Amino acid sequence: MAQYPERKWYSGMLSTEDWWAVWIAVGFFMISLLNIWGIDLVGWMTYPTKWVFNPPEGGKGAISQAFYALGKKYSVSAKGFYKGLGWWSVIWSYVIFGTALTIGAAFMKWNVKRFVGGFTIIYFLTIAIWFIGHHAFIAATKVNMHKYGLNFALNLGGGGSFILALIVGLIIGNFFKGFAKYLSEAAKPEWYIKTAIVTLGVKLGYLPIKLSAFSQKLGKQAADLTFDLFVAGAAATVVAYLIFWPGVYVISRKIFKLPRKTAAVLGSGISICGVSAAVATGGAVRAKPVVSIMVSALVVVWAVIELIILPGFFTHVWPGTKDPLVAGASMGMAVKTDGADAAAGELLDEFMRTKIEIETNGAVKWPEGIITASAVMTKVWIDMFIGIWAFVLALVWVYKFERRPGERVPASEVWHRFPKFVIGYFFCWFFLLAIYFGPGQGGAPEAMPFLKTVKAGAVPVEKGMRKLFFMLTFLSLGIITDFKKLKEAQFGKMVWVYFVALFGFIIPVAIIIGYLFHHGMTLPNIAQYMK
Amino acid sequence: MAEVTTEEKKETQPGTGSLSVDALEAEDVLAGAEEWSSTETWLVLGSFIAAIIALFIGLLVVPTSVLH
Repeated sequence: MAQYPERKWYSGMLSTEDWWAVWIAVGFFMISLLNIWGIDLVGWMTYPTKWVFNPPEGGKGAISQAFYALGKKYSVSAKGFYKGLGWWSVIWSYVIFGTALTIGAAFMKWNVKRFVGGFTIIYFLTIAIWFIGHHAFIAATKVNMHKYGLNFALNLGGGGSFILALIVGLIIGNFFKGFAKYLSEAAKPEWYIKTAIVTLGVKLGYLPIKLSAFSQKLGKQAADLTFDLFVAGAAATVVAYLIFWPGVYVISRKIFKLPRKTAAVLGSGISICGVSAAVATGGAVRAKPVVSIMVSALVVVWAVIELIILPGFFTHVWPGTKDPLVAGASMGMAVKTDGADAAAGELLDEFMRTKIEIETNGAVKWPEGIITASAVMTKVWIDMFIGIWAFVLALVWVYKFERRPGERVPASEVWHRFPKFVIGYFFCWFFLLAIYFGPGQGGAPEAMPFLKTVKAGAVPVEKGMRKLFFMLTFLSLGIITDFKKLKEAQFGKMVWVYFVALFGFIIPVAIIIGYLFHHGMTLPNIAQYMK
Repeated sequence: MAEVTTEEKKETQPGTGSLSVDALEAEDVLAGAEEWSSTETWLVLGSFIAAIIALFIGLLVVPTSVLH
């Protein structure tokens, strides 16, 4: 029986979450570029804004405008039409995103009927939470709360909605298990976050364009910063992972006396990117399926705990606003699973930007998304490393530990383990950079009318679609997280290995390496350009 | 007999990339640790040494590192 089945390089293109994240996000991105020719087909994407029950005279926050179509603000060719959508943009987004996701679900051979039912509930629950989370009492800061007639606000920014979504998801997942099970067909945090990460590529590519509208120099600074993150993230990830895996392996073997295969799977699950790494390593070393399943379950639960603790710790304890990108990069290396990491990065982004604005009384404002990008940048490099490491482990197990005669490990395994959504992320990023440096003339004033049309398409995708998919991720992550699993006796030892390895080894090492490669990196201040 | 069949089935279904396998008993996967072998020492040390080399090169090459 062949351990490694023959697979074509293109296998899975229509049947895996990874690829469907690419098709959906890149699809909407390409459609958004039609704006260059005056056709705006993405301005319907919905977005919330802060609201209060009784807006002050001449102030902001009417409930009737709590959701709007992004085309209302950014469209060049159809502003009038999208202005009229208002709350209807919620329905437009449901129908169009729902259709795209359902097509993906059908190709992946999921239960379409249950997916549509589950997605409908998850979507509208998400919108309700997003709406509540944008009440000015939760989302406003002390810098802008007076515009809404408030004298006190929680200062949570957009992060309040994420926390709320996670809490609601956890309540459903832990107290309404029948309901959670029904929703499970559509509660797919990994799919949603991979889609969001591809749109984060749009965000990165769009940043120089956005800042060029303020000044050409600022746009160039943003382009340079994203490249710096790209290089620093790669170096930090390689170093961190080469330390993480053997460290956790030794802890598992020497302190907790676990068998080799279990230690290897745990090493990858705790060190790298959780579920996919555990599964890849399980396959490479031929561990029993139960090992990968147990580690994967633990990874999800611990990732949610990290997601709850780390953004607040990094923002309010250390390093705070002095080194926001050290915090982001460390988060990317410490929080397992793409979903929890990107979600934690987004939360950190919101917390840090809110904090710096409060600390400086509005004199410093950072563009959103860069701190999230620093967390995701390390994670995507780790994701790419999974395939290589699984390949190395397969070689060691096949040729050293078990000496399986006649068995061969094909190099193509590296490609099959490669996280395909990363391709979409880089594609969107570099495509927009090519536009920025090409016809966009590096943000030159004479190219601004052209760049404005690019912006009209990019903003709904990098802002509306990305945030919506983050919200779907937070809610879904909560729904599938069952804390009871930690109590189950059979997990006992693994829970402790995970705890010791994570807090005693992974997080401290991640912070040190994040510091070594990102210390002193600064974010551009856009306060003077904002209203 | 049935138990043996299940066990055999699990033995022949190594990590396939699917998390839908319904066998969820911990049994022996946490017990029966083998003796530490020289290959493991080689694997662990090799990884640490590679990390140190990568760290050294990275700190020198990456423009945002603390060395710059």
